Amino acid sequence: MNISPIVASLLVVVLPFSAFVIQAILGRRSVSGNVALMAISLSSILSAGCVFFVVWTGEATLERITWFTIGTKSFSVGILLNKLTVFMQLLVCIIALPVHLYSRAYMKGDDGLHRYWMYLSLFCFAMLGLTISINLLQLYIFWELVGFASYLLIGFWFTRDAAVQANKKAFLINRIGDLGFLIGIALLYAQVGTLDLVELFGKSGFFSTETAVHDSLQLLDKNSAWITCAGLAFLLGAMAKSAQFPLHVWLPDAMEGPTSVSSLIHAATMVAAGIFLLCTVFPLFNETVLLVITGIGTITAFSAAIFALGQYDIKKILAFSTISQLGFMMVGVGIGAWDTAMLHLATHAFFKCLLFLCAGAVIHEMSHVKAHTNLTFDPQDLRNMGGLRHYMPKTFLCMLIGALALSGFPLTAGYLSKDSIVVTAFEWAASHGGSYFIIPAALILVSVLTAFYIGRLVFKTFFGSFSFREHIAAGKPSLHEPPSMMLWPMLFLAACSLFPLFGVQPLAYQQTWIIRGFHVEVDYPAQHAAHLFIPLGLTIGAIVAWTVGWQWYVKQKYPLRVDNSWVQWANRQGYLNELNDTLFVKGTLKLSDLLYAFDRYVVDGLTKLVTWVTQRIAVFAYWVDKHIVDGLVNLSANTTYYIGHLARHVQNGQLQGYMGFALTAVILGILYLIIK
Amino acid sequence: MGALSILIFLPLFAALLILALPSSLKGSYRYIALVFTLAQLALSLYMYQQFDPTLGGINSISGYQFVEQIPWIRLDLGQLGKLEIDYFVGIDGVSLPLIVLSSFVMLMSIGASWHVEKSVKGYFALLMVLNMAVMGIFAALDFFLFYVFYEVMLLPLYFLIGIWGGARREYAAMKFFIYTLLGSVLMLLVIVGLYFSVVNPASGAHTFNILLMMNPSNYVDGSFFGFLGNYHEVFGVPARLVGFIVLFFAFAIKVPIVPLHTWLPDAHVEAPTPVSIILAGILLKIGGYGIIRVCYSIFPDIAADTNWWLALIGVLSIVYGALNALAQKDLKRMIAYSSVSHMGFVLLGIASLTAEGLSGAMFQMVSHGFLSAALFFLVGVLYDRVHDRYIYNFRGLANIMPTYTAYVAIAFFASLGLPGFSAFIGEAFVIIGAFNAEAMLTGVPRWMAVGGSVGILLSAAYFLWTLQRMFFGQTRLQGGEKWRLALTDLDTREKIVLLPALALALVLGIVPSLIFDNLNASVIQLLDTIKPYL
Repeated sequence: MNISPIVASLLVVVLPFSAFVIQAILGRRSVSGNVALMAISLSSILSAGCVFFVVWTGEATLERITWFTIGTKSFSVGILLNKLTVFMQLLVCIIALPVHLYSRAYMKGDDGLHRYWMYLSLFCFAMLGLTISINLLQLYIFWELVGFASYLLIGFWFTRDAAVQANKKAFLINRIGDLGFLIGIALLYAQVGTLDLVELFGKSGFFSTETAVHDSLQLLDKNSAWITCAGLAFLLGAMAKSAQFPLHVWLPDAMEGPTSVSSLIHAATMVAAGIFLLCTVFPLFNETVLLVITGIGTITAFSAAIFALGQYDIKKILAFSTISQLGFMMVGVGIGAWDTAMLHLATHAFFKCLLFLCAGAVIHEMSHVKAHTNLTFDPQDLRNMGGLRHYMPKTFLCMLIGALALSGFPLTAGYLSKDSIVVTAFEWAASHGGSYFIIPAALILVSVLTAFYIGRLVFKTFFGSFSFREHIAAGKPSLHEPPSMMLWPMLFLAACSLFPLFGVQPLAYQQTWIIRGFHVEVDYPAQHAAHLFIPLGLTIGAIVAWTVGWQWYVKQKYPLRVDNSWVQWANRQGYLNELNDTLFVKGTLKLSDLLYAFDRYVVDGLTKLVTWVTQRIAVFAYWVDKHIVDGLVNLSANTTYYIGHLARHVQNGQLQGYMGFALTAVILGILYLIIK
Repeated sequence: MGALSILIFLPLFAALLILALPSSLKGSYRYIALVFTLAQLALSLYMYQQFDPTLGGINSISGYQFVEQIPWIRLDLGQLGKLEIDYFVGIDGVSLPLIVLSSFVMLMSIGASWHVEKSVKGYFALLMVLNMAVMGIFAALDFFLFYVFYEVMLLPLYFLIGIWGGARREYAAMKFFIYTLLGSVLMLLVIVGLYFSVVNPASGAHTFNILLMMNPSNYVDGSFFGFLGNYHEVFGVPARLVGFIVLFFAFAIKVPIVPLHTWLPDAHVEAPTPVSIILAGILLKIGGYGIIRVCYSIFPDIAADTNWWLALIGVLSIVYGALNALAQKDLKRMIAYSSVSHMGFVLLGIASLTAEGLSGAMFQMVSHGFLSAALFFLVGVLYDRVHDRYIYNFRGLANIMPTYTAYVAIAFFASLGLPGFSAFIGEAFVIIGAFNAEAMLTGVPRWMAVGGSVGILLSAAYFLWTLQRMFFGQTRLQGGEKWRLALTDLDTREKIVLLPALALALVLGIVPSLIFDNLNASVIQLLDTIKPYL
């Protein structure tokens, strides 16, 4: 096929969108998901064949058109294809395709299936558009659309209260991040005057001498306050989307969505968008911001691993594991080796998607048991499982591969990527010295914890004996492998979770094509000993962790009490949700109630007061009018009347009277003349 | 008679026709109103299409289009000179989108009035008179004419709320009327002051011409509002500042700003759905329009001095309105408070005095115009069916009214600024403009922009919370089975009213140049007018 990469990548984005529109129009008439599946398949083929291989081996290319003009400044939209963007786009396609297939079986028979396919296509559109945006504003638009699609999918079963609580929470927390992103955009725009990634950072995503940021950085110091603020603002955006502490709280709740959705959106792709954003605007970060990123990544990796230890819900363990691994990627960005972050992003996408799909298969079968046996139990709770490897050996195998990859055992993809981050972090710490060694040390500890909690998950699910064995033995064998439509995507992802996809050298991450392709230079020297000892140490640690897990969970030598307060604490996620709820949610609601009372009684009260005062004045004025003004008028009238009344007696109509008056008048006149 | 005059007086003609027809034909009134409003919309779209985007307008008469200037009142006042009032109308980039918006929202309002039964004749006649008045306000370039239209607008609204409203309609109508009247009476004083300060250089007479008031050289030296060498003071405050504040006060009531907003929730809650649509969709825009057209253009010097305070009021309105919306339990009242919050963005954008902020503010006005209209219409749909709007009385409506829920969800997400919809462009550029203000040295600090962005977060909170409480979960209704039967999904008429508004929100969100292209020249012109005083 001879399509230019630009056109092809545009098609990659547009195809899922047309699928979304078609499903929206068809509504309930389209439940098979063929439209969505066809779109994502075509997208995958195009993305791999016509975009990725052309750009990865060749030149970065771009295309943009003017979107609109405000005042004198123009904003453009367009497509930027460099190694980073095409890599991300391909990754999204490759993960989305098996998930679509899997969904056909997993979601079969659901009442809202037509909505499911519609939302899934919308998500793919937004996510694929996000990857190749040329303009930060355009990126922001897709960024929020991704969040919107995630909102729809988390709340897919909208009659469940927990689901609609969770999607609201997810959207709001993501909104906090969006504000950070928006403020970052606004700052950048105000200081540099453009949001175009090429103008900012150059075509291939690095500083080149003629870019706007380069120019303004020449004038301004890279350590100036606004650069730090902008960097932190973008970090806030990434923290919400990539579920970093303390904004990670939405992700465990998001597990209320269908498991297939969790695997695609809340494990492999959407949550990685934050890392992708940080890689995109990487040149903007100065030392301070990078250190903050590293710190947050480490805290996240550590806290999430601890929380994962205490979970019983199979999906929640995986959710915390995702958070923890995203923390690793953050550290990768923070130490300046964003290529390792991208490598881990890619390997993690495969094995975490795989783990979720396996978990989905387990839940699927457990729900079947529940339906068949009419028992009431939580099909996602580890305590209700056990011994499933006898019934679902293929699922067990897939899950085991995923778990080994997550633990970072050699020959898996996880080994390559996790080591790349830990080793580079060690080198970074070595060059800074002193307390910086906390970071690699913490990462090593987290790696061991990771191996332990995922080992725990595997042991508790697949080993031991099944809790409801007698129930299924009696009836029909309702516990078995999932249908092949679910199994094939799992096997595919399992294959991708092994080292060959990333490089022929199973033990050397520097030789993977991803690291070689991105070719990121770091400014600290390599520590050759670290490349040997750290992977070795990590592997030994993982083996020890699995062994302990084996002893505890399979051999039943569990040393802790069931109601151990530390386990409780981890299970309740350190009571973070309760804290947020009392502090922020209740606080805001209190404040809003208070303000409304203020509005009613003070602001509107003032209006009413003015009204009342006016009315009183009016009453008073009326009183004055009636009693004083009108009183005076009446007084004069009455006086006149009274005088008239007095004089009235004179005119009594009797001649004698008149004569008497006349006589009196004459006498008085004469008297007057005499006296005078 | 030019196109603009036809646009203004078409509804008056419709009103006369409705009044002339006997009551036996009362079924035809709504069709008359519909046909005339449609014609009006067509005409306004024609004007939009003919509009030359390169012309700026604002303070130059040559930049206005569809101008008509006819001497209206000429009176020899002897010693006081000659009274000179013109019928003077014209549009520029600022008024054009609002005129198109008004005719669009009017059409929605007619659609929402379809089933009005109480004194139909008076209702539609008043609606048409109101229509004429708002068109006149957006087109008038003579301050006297502007004032006449401004007052004419009040009258039909008072009756529309007072007669066709809800339980406390008299109270709400009175409150609305007196609030607005208070502003406009004070405005009259400033108008008279301006009249005596400005002289038409062509005729030598004092004038009400708004454009002449914008040119500093037309002011009489030493006059009350004179530009240069003005030592007049009112209680120690410079006269021009007083004039600005009074005019701003008048328009701020309309916007409305906190703390002059309390008429709005009452008026909205008590007004019938179509009047709520007009109130939110058009009336509030008169406030923003007045600030741009009158306050900022006639008093550019004061505008440059006071924008810090205006931006503060804007931020305050955004956050305060949003928090109040969060506390509401009546759906309509919640949307009314959300209007306060969203209109705060308009003020913040205008006060930022940057091209991005001003354009964002104008865009926000247009976007809020039809989105709030759609929201109030959606509330009306529910209220029509069960006569209840209390949020906690509904639950799980998505199960019984799926189409309605979809429309509500789209309208909510569009309003909370989801990219792809128009409100996003408006809010985002207000924020970007407010951030840019510091770089442009207009005196609006960045923390205000951050404060404004909190409003975006809160708007998501109250809209999503409402969605969760009313539409999701298992169905549970206060009115039980009776309500369940009454709550039928949207009918065709309702879809016809809603679809264009939501489609427009989408189209403008994706192609914002539809508005920006015609706006840019005016925005630049306005900023050039103010810039020398910064």
